[in-house]
Amino acid sequence: MIEIVLMAHVFFGVACPFAALWVCVDTLNFSEANQRRIQKMSYAAAVFMWLSFLLAGYWYVFYYKADKAIILNGPFPLAHNFFMEAKEHLAIILLMLASYLPIAAADNLLAHTGARRVLIWVAGMTVVLALMMESGGGVIAMGVKAGLLSR
Amino acid sequence: MQNSGISKYTISFGLSLAIASVADGLLVIAKETNPDLLAAMKKLTGHHWVTHSIIILGIFFLFGWLFAQSRGGIGIKMSANRLIGTLVAGVAAGSLILLGLFTCLR
Repeated sequence: MIEIVLMAHVFFGVACPFAALWVCVDTLNFSEANQRRIQKMSYAAAVFMWLSFLLAGYWYVFYYKADKAIILNGPFPLAHNFFMEAKEHLAIILLMLASYLPIAAADNLLAHTGARRVLIWVAGMTVVLALMMESGGGVIAMGVKAGLLSR
Repeated sequence: MQNSGISKYTISFGLSLAIASVADGLLVIAKETNPDLLAAMKKLTGHHWVTHSIIILGIFFLFGWLFAQSRGGIGIKMSANRLIGTLVAGVAAGSLILLGLFTCLR
């Protein structure tokens, strides 16, 4: 059943960059009509990221030890030594970026192009970093698989 | 310095995000090179990563709030371009410190 926690982590982890990309594209095509939607999607990105982070944290602290042993004894220890080590700390930066989205979106986007530019950059960085996280997660899963297959 | 109409919270939390991102990278270097610090962080919450996350998120929210209260509650003034530059530089620096460190260590 614990796999559900891991799958939910991935689900919300994917939902976050989708919402951030939505914010980025909507802000690039800004009009008064979509300002409210931008703010809602900014909140959604932050909520998705917090859910993903908390679920991952719970799994990492209580259940990752077994997977770590499989990876380190397998043919691809880099999956932990580089990818997991980097991912667990980069995720904090991503969480802060996603948390910052609704703050930046609460600005008067209609009146100020500068506020819109800030939001576009933050949403863009959120998407890029989230995709890096997704890739890292895939490599870590492959590390576990390679470790199990080599037994 | 023009504020470009950006709210004080956008500026203050943007600056704190840049600072906390760099702090994230520097704290990893500190705990990877200092076993005593790593042990102390483990002891605090039971897992070094939990302590690490609390410290960095604490820096983000505390500095964001403090910067917003500066100058008698007016907050820090900054142009949009300068804020974007600081944000991107902070996030990139924090990320590159992490990636560089784990590349060197492994």
